[in-house]
Order: sequence, then C-alpha cells, then structure tokens
Amino acid sequence: MRVDVRALGACNRLAERGAKQAAGALSDLTGTDLAVEVTGASVASGEDLAESFAGRESIGVSVGLRGGLDGEAVLAFDAANVDALLSLLPGGQSMERSAVTEVGNIALGGFLDGWANYLGKAIDMSPPRYFEADGAAVLPDGALAGDGVFLFESRLDATTTDLDFSIYMLPDSGPFRDLIVGKTAPAATAGGEADGGTASTAVPYESLSTFSSLAKKGSANAADNIAMMTGLETTVDVSRLRFVPLADVPAEVGTEPHAGTVFELQGEPSGYLAILFEESSAAAVADAMLPMEPDEPLGDMAQNALCELGNVMTSGFIDGWANVLGTSITHSPPEFVHDIGASTISPLVAKLSERQDYGFVIDTAIQTEGIQARCDVYALPDERELARALDRLSGP
Amino acid sequence: MATRVLIADDSEFMRNLLREILEGEFEIVGEAENGVEAVNMYEEHGPDLVMMDIVMPIRDGIEATTEILEENPDATVIMCTSVGQEEKMKAAIKAGAEGYITKPFQKPNVLDAIGSAV
Repeated sequence: MRVDVRALGACNRLAERGAKQAAGALSDLTGTDLAVEVTGASVASGEDLAESFAGRESIGVSVGLRGGLDGEAVLAFDAANVDALLSLLPGGQSMERSAVTEVGNIALGGFLDGWANYLGKAIDMSPPRYFEADGAAVLPDGALAGDGVFLFESRLDATTTDLDFSIYMLPDSGPFRDLIVGKTAPAATAGGEADGGTASTAVPYESLSTFSSLAKKGSANAADNIAMMTGLETTVDVSRLRFVPLADVPAEVGTEPHAGTVFELQGEPSGYLAILFEESSAAAVADAMLPMEPDEPLGDMAQNALCELGNVMTSGFIDGWANVLGTSITHSPPEFVHDIGASTISPLVAKLSERQDYGFVIDTAIQTEGIQARCDVYALPDERELARALDRLSGP
Repeated sequence: MATRVLIADDSEFMRNLLREILEGEFEIVGEAENGVEAVNMYEEHGPDLVMMDIVMPIRDGIEATTEILEENPDATVIMCTSVGQEEKMKAAIKAGAEGYITKPFQKPNVLDAIGSAV
C-alpha cells in the first residue's frame, strides 16, 4: 500500500475541519470558547504511542465507526478537569457520566460530519462509551498493536479556562486505505519535476513505518550524544513521526523562551532540523558541558557549547537516515537561536512553506536526569525528496 | 390540549435537557433509552410527536422511525441528534422524519422544528 502525502494532507484538513466543528459544538454546549490548536496525523509504533500517553489520567468517550470510515474516535480530557466541565453543563453535576458521555457524543458527531460529507457516505457511530483511563488506555483496545499505527489527533484548547480536549481518530485500514492512497500517480519517479517528470508524493506505507523507527533511532543517538558531552543521564521520552500543517508548527513550539540550534539539511531529503531547549534547560545543559561556570547564562561560551552539542546531535540524527535510506545528507553549520519558541522555528517553516503546505515533523523529547532539562527535536524534511528516498527503501 | 411528546435518547443528560425545554408547553408522555423502547412506547402512548436521537443502542433512531411509520403512517418524528452528516439526514428524511435538529441546540431551534413539523 502506498500512502499519498497529498491525500494524507487532505485527510488532515478533514480532521482539522472536523475538529473545528467539534470545537464549535463544545463551545455552544459549555459556553466556553474553544479553539483548535493542532491537528496532525502520527505514524508511530504502538510502543512509542503508549509512551507518549504515559502519566496522563483521562476521562473520555469513545465511539466505534462503521460505513464510510471504519475505526474508532475518542474525545478525552484531563481527569482533573471533570468538575470544571460539569459546572458548565446545565444539570451536569448531578449526572456526571451521562453528561460527559453526551458531550463526547456531540463533539465526535460534529467531528465526523465533515468526513462523511466529503466521502459522500454515512459513517455509523456506535453508541458512545464513557471511560476513565490511565496513559494509553485512552485509545481503543488493540490500537497499539503493530509496528505502524496511524493516529489523527486534534487538540482543542479553551481560551479562558484550563478545559482542554483531545480528539483521537484511529482509522482501520479498509476504507481509510482508499482515502490515503489518493488519486495521484502511485509511482515515485527519481527525477521528479526537475527532470520534467511528475513529482509523486506517494510513499509505501511500510517505508513510512520504517522511517518512524529511524526517527526513534536518531533520537536515541542524539540522546547518547548529550550524555557523552554533558555526563548527564538521558532518556528519549517521546518520538513520533507526525504529519502536520507547517503553519501549525510554530504554535506547537509555543511562546516560552527557547534556546538551541537550527540546521539546514542538504542531500536527500533536504530540509531543516531544530534542536530546541527551554531556556532554563539550555542554560543547565550548557553549564554541565563547561569546565567552569559561565559569566552569564547563555552567553558566548554557553552558545558555543550548545552549538557543538547541536552539531553532534544532528549528526547522530541524520547519519542513521542516510545509512538506511542509502543517501548522503549533510548539514549546515549550527545557527544559535534564542527567542520565544515560535520565533525560533518560524523562519525554517517559512522557507519550507515555499515548497509544501504539510510536513513530516519528527518530534522527540529528550529528558536528562539530575538536572531539569528537556530538549525537543523538530525535523522538517522536504516531502518530495523524503518520498523518493522512502520509495527507494522499499525497492526490489 | 398540549401536544404529547415522546423523547427517545440514550443520554439521560439529553433527555433531561429536552424535558426542561419542552415541559410547560408540551406534555411529555415518556422517555425511551433506545430504539426498541421508542417503538414500544410509541405503541403504548400514541404521542403526537417523537423527538428521536439517531445513535442509540439496540436499535438506532432511523430504524425505529422506519418501524414506527410503517405501523403508524401519520406519526410525526423529529430527529434530534449529534450527527450532521448529509447522508444520515437523507436517510432520516427517507425514513419519514419531519425535521432534523443537530445537537447542541437552543430552545428556539427545538420549538421552531416542532412548530414546522406539528
């Protein structure tokens, strides 16, 4: 099966529209304004997905889907916020389960309307099921089985309260397969548009899954490099390959101050890579690398240390890709960035947006023990070049 | 005489909400939690109007509407559902529903739909 990233983009837009409809329904129901913050599709192993949900206690509602789309859809929110939600619903506090279940039913109904209308086919929803779940148990049974799990995820944030929701959709392979295969030519040609051919964006599903594993290995290499250079124990907390609108990436990095390094990648795939620490984490990591305490946090010495760390981490990241994809990927010298999170990555997104609307974002959270430090790696490869490289990966 | 209404929805929360909207102006003759109960309660009470959810356990609202209208061609059913899919709306109209309200709704939406249907 070949996944067409353009078709996947169309699916993502449907998911985003659905999420907006769900946010509208929830806003009407609760009287609280909700906005869709992020919608994206992830490809990750069941194990990695499970890790990304670790530590969360959720309450939610799930529905089974049949007909135009098979699978499951889930609305979930932080269990600590249930009272806040119930207080907004007329009579909600006296009937917690029923009220929450109906909230889920209404939100998911709205979410699915756009998909059904696009497909021109009805999607049958099973009666909503209320649940309280720890970690990845928020996802339906069996959802985490297999090497490559497709998950659409939308985050709906309340603008004035902490009442935030997540919508997850896990499509089964049947009708969803038809959707993501798309209508574009299935064969990826090595020459692409540059050679006068048609640039294809179709990639074998198995290769996408392999690339997700590669991203995980790259994250592990990067974490090892941090450990070597700082002496700090490191672990990779999260590693997921997500397909998101590029325009949403800066918002994901957020408005907190960040420092780190950004790189341009040359080769196949080209693109950009950003290694970003929260400001305090950057200072702590630089401090751990320097033989003496720096004159000022994130001054020249610290910047040099972080640039060197970025260099080594980036190599650890992309060497694995190049080896497995059979390509050569080089990176530019590190550029130190220190600004609010969104501003650190916006220039990269702007450059890539000239070529594509969506991107595969590999987000990795690397945690260090001993000091509070967290690092996020955003890899933004050129989609056509990545498709070509992945296509070769599945070649005869 | 007040219009007699049967509410069919698997959500207690939603049944209460509808009851609050309708009480005073309408007579609520019963509340069904699934499509089978809706059909049975229709036969028992012969209401003027059914406010019918679509997604319900045991038997969904479209099937229940079809069954009610097969036996009672003059029955009036308004779909009151979270599902806003065009194909589902078509299926509901094909089944004989007189109106279609999507949740969440405000009291005027409900009253307008009832005013048009009854």
